[in-house]
Amino acid sequence: MTTLRFSDRKRDQDPLLAQAAELPKDIAPAHELWPGVHARLDEAPRQGRSFGWPMALAAGVVAAAVSALLTWGLMREPAPQAPQAPQLAGDPAPPAEFVPVNYGTDSAIGAEQLAARDALLVQFRQSLERLSPKTRETVVANLAVIQRAADEIDAALAQDPASGLLNQMLVRAYQQELQLYSKVVTTGGDIMRRS
Amino acid sequence: MTDLARQPKAGEDERIALARQGDVRAFEALYREHVGRVYGLCLRMAGEPQAAEDLTQDTFVNAWRSLPGYEGRSSLATWLHRIAVNAVLAKRRSPVGRNEISLTDESGEQMEFAAEQDMDEATPIDLERAIAALPPGARDIVVLHGIYGYSHEEAATMLGLAVGTCKAQLHRARNLMRGRMRMEAAT
Repeated sequence: MTTLRFSDRKRDQDPLLAQAAELPKDIAPAHELWPGVHARLDEAPRQGRSFGWPMALAAGVVAAAVSALLTWGLMREPAPQAPQAPQLAGDPAPPAEFVPVNYGTDSAIGAEQLAARDALLVQFRQSLERLSPKTRETVVANLAVIQRAADEIDAALAQDPASGLLNQMLVRAYQQELQLYSKVVTTGGDIMRRS
Repeated sequence: MTDLARQPKAGEDERIALARQGDVRAFEALYREHVGRVYGLCLRMAGEPQAAEDLTQDTFVNAWRSLPGYEGRSSLATWLHRIAVNAVLAKRRSPVGRNEISLTDESGEQMEFAAEQDMDEATPIDLERAIAALPPGARDIVVLHGIYGYSHEEAATMLGLAVGTCKAQLHRARNLMRGRMRMEAAT
């Protein structure tokens, strides 16, 4: 049996792609760019062999596992007691601080993805308010895990900027962040219906 | 790795070895050999010469920084392209890095084109202009797969997408390009 490469066949068969393949691969920039590159080389600390990869991989795995545990925790979220008792001045547990995940400058998480996240964040913030303080803390702790994963992957990307896999891992962390918000929004709606 | 239409120049391995050890002159030689190919990719993906120049510089600075860890599993040209693609995708994070608009034609059908790029209207290369007018996702796959010859699998890895998504984007791109070229032919 002959294995044909899909991409090459397509390129040959499609006149547009065949023409595209004939376009020049090299285009000379209008300006001399080397002096600008040269000037920045001294400021660019050189990386040795990458040690960031194992940590990034481990962080990605931990983020996935924690996200799964959160689902289980949210399923057990009780309906809120009504009316809520006013918080006393001496109560030891202030609401857990919520901060969305920050992705580094080397990441491939685009403005479009961040805009989609911001839209979901509006609903998420409302739903978070309805959760018990303990569950809220768990959600915030989960976000911190995803943030650490994103930081590790960002650090590895700085050492290995050509890595598509690291970028995929970062996209996965972003998806986990969105899944977490989505779970909280869904659970918040369920709690409202139960109460 | 595909690497169509480019064979490394003689002595490239030696220049890479020297540059890895910090030899700036060897790195400059590598820069001279590869800058056109990196700039070509950046210009087509970013669609704007000034941004492409910045991205090209970023690519080579990142390459210098990471060269000691380069193990030669892919050719230097492909490795540089991967760095350039990551730089382009990172730039799109910034709102000013995005340049996409949507139009609606008379039938209400949505027409997706990027905002007109800095492409000379008089250029006879209709295809190049049609590619430049594509929305970023579709343009990326035409540039990587169509022009630079990376397989769908390679392009998907570079873009952080599923292979199926790349194929769908290519299908969308072909339809948009044909429409664009028909419109231009009619005017």
